[in-house]
Amino acid sequence: MSARAALPPARSRSDDRAVAFTFALPTALLLLALTIYPFLQATLDSMFKLNLSTRAGPFVGADNYLVLAGAPDVHAALWRTLEWVVANVAIQTVLGLVIALLLNAQLRGQTIARALVLFPYMVPAIVVALVFRFMFNDITGIVNYLLVSSGLLRRPVAWLSSPDSALWAAVAVNCWKYTPFMVIVFLARLQTVPLELYDAARIDGASAWAVFRYITFPWLRPVLLIAMLLRTIWTANDFDLLYLLAFGGPLSSTTTVPLLIRALAFGKQDIGMASALALCAGAFLCMAAFVYLRLYQRSERQLQ
Amino acid sequence: MQDEAAAPGGRLRPASQLRLPPAGRLATYALLVVVVVLTALPLVWMLLSSVKPDTENAAYPPTFLPRQYTLENYQVLFRVSDFGSYLRNSAILASTSTLATLILATLTAYSMTRFSFPILRRLGELSLFVYMIPPILLLVPTARIVVGLGLADSLLAVAVVYTAHLLPFGLWILRSYFLGIPVELEQAAMVDGCTRFGAFWRVVLPQATPGIISTGIFTFNASWSEYLFGATLLTSGDKMTLSPGLSLLMAASVLVTLPVVVLFGIAQKQLVSGWGEGAIKG
Repeated sequence: MSARAALPPARSRSDDRAVAFTFALPTALLLLALTIYPFLQATLDSMFKLNLSTRAGPFVGADNYLVLAGAPDVHAALWRTLEWVVANVAIQTVLGLVIALLLNAQLRGQTIARALVLFPYMVPAIVVALVFRFMFNDITGIVNYLLVSSGLLRRPVAWLSSPDSALWAAVAVNCWKYTPFMVIVFLARLQTVPLELYDAARIDGASAWAVFRYITFPWLRPVLLIAMLLRTIWTANDFDLLYLLAFGGPLSSTTTVPLLIRALAFGKQDIGMASALALCAGAFLCMAAFVYLRLYQRSERQLQ
Repeated sequence: MQDEAAAPGGRLRPASQLRLPPAGRLATYALLVVVVVLTALPLVWMLLSSVKPDTENAAYPPTFLPRQYTLENYQVLFRVSDFGSYLRNSAILASTSTLATLILATLTAYSMTRFSFPILRRLGELSLFVYMIPPILLLVPTARIVVGLGLADSLLAVAVVYTAHLLPFGLWILRSYFLGIPVELEQAAMVDGCTRFGAFWRVVLPQATPGIISTGIFTFNASWSEYLFGATLLTSGDKMTLSPGLSLLMAASVLVTLPVVVLFGIAQKQLVSGWGEGAIKG
């Protein structure tokens, strides 16, 4: 047996390396063909005046970008996307934190509550859109009925069919569906808080707020920032829920950047402009990601 | 840990539990009830509406409990639309792309963490960066590739597209899992006569199971729910939204939600622990 008690010979290790590379090859090819190539193609397209169906058109350099910079509907869509993202991420983070702490508080019936609260994340966007369109119906919807009959509202609100309220109704729906993501992530992190810290705090007689402020929150912060980063990217780029809920209307009041890209590419058949807008939006997101990652690094350092 | 920290059962009480005054405890319960009700209301409403007759769903004021129960909506759904075939297609699509993503991501993540392949690492980072771009932008070039390969309106092509889109995220989660598994474990197995693949299969994979399960749930959920690419690349996929009648759609909602619910129920625990140990370890 002692002959075996050595690392495998070098030759078999380089064989292993070859096998490992072969294992990774299909992934590499898929990523190249279906994420990186389309991205590069779109970058190229953004410099052409390109029609969707003919795919022909002249090189226009930065013209598409210049047109975008001066278009009021683009400005409106960018601004709207900012409102949409900030409102969603802020509400989902705060609610997610509160709910995660609640579900972590060792209450009775907690297992059932936990399963139920995480559930909306699993409901497909199309279903969420259908159910909420039904519930937010101006006339027969249960939301208006409950709010009016309980006296909270004087008269019914046209939630999804009025330009003033559509985006905010959509924010409410989006928070219903995606807060559970935050809860899952925070709950997982809460399981890993070093118990010694709590014991020390208990001996010192710290108040519940002090424990949260000086132990729980700093421990959560790195994960909180990463989850916020992910939700920022996903919310900014989300097409399905907003489109299925309100189709960008009424009067463009729910047209965020991805919905405008769709209108440019498939409505106006202008691929060049659509690509330019998508790349601009991507650049803004990269800046946001940079800020999050800097904050993340700082919060990690503070933990140590 | 003092004795006072021990729960009656002898088990240590989780230290995160702070002793709240009775009023605080009551308030906490009240808050939990509010959260649960707000979460559950749309789901309950969906379920109840699906067993109400059309006339009752369109009536004002709305009734909460059905005055009359009926399964008619479900029957009409299958009779009027190709709902059975939508369901089958989605099941094929979601399970194929989940399986493919898991196999490819597991093998690649393992290769990337145990050997150094700078090209692969760059590729992984680049594909994560592509996540920042609205996916709708990728739709046109992707559709061109799919049509160019003569795979228009094919479930296989869409499964491949889903797999490619889900891989960066899966790779990212699983990579951090594999990084957390000590290399010494496999080396010990290999010293004891296991091949590299044997060590991977018997030692590393079981350790990474929670990560693989949570990645699988995420992947299945994402591909089951995906709308944009499915609706564009499969010309028969978007009919569902046109189904006539609100209650008809409500009935569809319940059936569309069912598979992920079952999956979720089975794996709920793994999901929470998986997310904690894996991707978002911090």
